[in-house]
Amino acid sequence: MTQRVFVCRCEDVTVAEIQHAIALGLGSVEEIKRYTGLGTGPCQGKECIVALVRLLLAERAVTPEAVQPFTARPPAEPVTLAELASVAGTPPPEDGP
Amino acid sequence: MPGDDAVLRPASPSALTLELAYDDAPLRAAPGDTVSAALLRAGRVATGRSLKFRRPRGPFCLQGDCGTCLLRVDGEPNLRACTTRVRAGMQLQSQNRVLPRGPDPTALVDTVFAAGMDHHHFMVRPRLVNTIMQEVARNLAGLGTLPDAPSEPPAPPRHEAPQVLVVGAGPAGLAVLRRLRRAGLAAVCVERLDRDGARARCGDDDAEVRYDTAVFGLYPREHGGGVVAARVHDGDARGIVTFAPRHLVLATGTRDVIVPLRNNDLPGVLAARGLASLLRRTGDTLAVPGVVVGEGERATALARQLRLELLAPTAVEAVLGGARVEAIATREGRRELGVVALAGTPAPASELARQCGARVRWADAGFVVARDETGRAAADTWTTWACGEVCGVAERDAADDGERVAEALLAAIGRAP
Ligand code: FES
Repeated sequence: MTQRVFVCRCEDVTVAEIQHAIALGLGSVEEIKRYTGLGTGPCQGKECIVALVRLLLAERAVTPEAVQPFTARPPAEPVTLAELASVAGTPPPEDGP
Repeated sequence: MPGDDAVLRPASPSALTLELAYDDAPLRAAPGDTVSAALLRAGRVATGRSLKFRRPRGPFCLQGDCGTCLLRVDGEPNLRACTTRVRAGMQLQSQNRVLPRGPDPTALVDTVFAAGMDHHHFMVRPRLVNTIMQEVARNLAGLGTLPDAPSEPPAPPRHEAPQVLVVGAGPAGLAVLRRLRRAGLAAVCVERLDRDGARARCGDDDAEVRYDTAVFGLYPREHGGGVVAARVHDGDARGIVTFAPRHLVLATGTRDVIVPLRNNDLPGVLAARGLASLLRRTGDTLAVPGVVVGEGERATALARQLRLELLAPTAVEAVLGGARVEAIATREGRRELGVVALAGTPAPASELARQCGARVRWADAGFVVARDETGRAAADTWTTWACGEVCGVAERDAADDGERVAEALLAAIGRAP
């Protein structure tokens, strides 16, 4: 087996691959995500985002003041399509007390 | 630590009364165990192969954060082993493997693409190779295989409109719940972990918390009102519950993160905090030698709890092994062991806050939620408050911070604290 340093285990993205992307001129969290697939697996970036930002800071591709994580969208936790479908079409909730 | 050497030693082997099956072998577990606990006890550390390089993978965080412990459970794919509780007769299967055991021919991918894989420049010539690569690419796109049968229909969705919804039952969330209760306000508090898991993690629990209830989406503009959607994943009660709160308190705490090291993906590389929680939950002890890799106060405390030596990340040259961790290489040489517990500083779990428009800023350990001096992080259809570790507050101060924010919330709704 080869020796790799992983940043994103879900999508198998290594430090070397991120450095390759940076060398190609990509520098932001969103760009690296789109180019390498980092953060798009089952954990949705929960495990890898910190290691990615540290790497980008070390490479001076971003600054600590300006850096932002990728856009957070639902679902943040696993949910089945059947469960989501069970809510579809339910009438708007009445206003609470 | 080759083969199936146990990672955990049970407190009492006679408590393992349930019989389950994992791939080709029977598996024993104690009532209340997570599937991960049973597998680690049986030494079944690798539970699948990674999507791209086809490397062996197993659980890491043990707290439902990382998603590399996915298994097929009773014919249903992609369930997390670490947050699924055992049942007698459960049929568990590893995923993304050609063969459940032994060498996997697809492991060659790791060697063929030794220099990395840039899918933008995948082979296009000769055509035959391209055809094969298309197959590989298709494989990369999917997890598991389709379920055996349509799943049981979920429980009918429920809707509630509490005045206050608290997300997270760690020290900060519990402090908010209790402070509001003392003021006579019954808030709803939800927690994604089960009660044993949450208790093992933070040392406390509360009868009024709804455990096994994971908020997955904040939809501030839905239905012209705004909806917080959660999934109840407790056995028979599986289904969706939506909330329309006036005040949302986010006390979502932190998550364990990966620490960049050579071969940091080998099965047997576990999050130190998740492992310590699992040992507290089950009463098990480690059955293999191990080390904690990390720095600082937290890592030192975790190493003490786990009774393992602490190594700085810079002292580690590589984790070594094949199907699982076998050794660690340091400047002093090679050391045989079965567990490498990573104790990187946990990152604030700020995803939900961002879904409802709160701002976050980088603060060394991750992105912390920005809030005003009272604890307000955003105002939309509901007012969002944030407290505890998700705001960068230290773990030992999280309860005090929750209490303070609860008082500000009470003042804001005109209740004398
Ligand atoms: S999600 Fe189960 S080990 Fe991380």
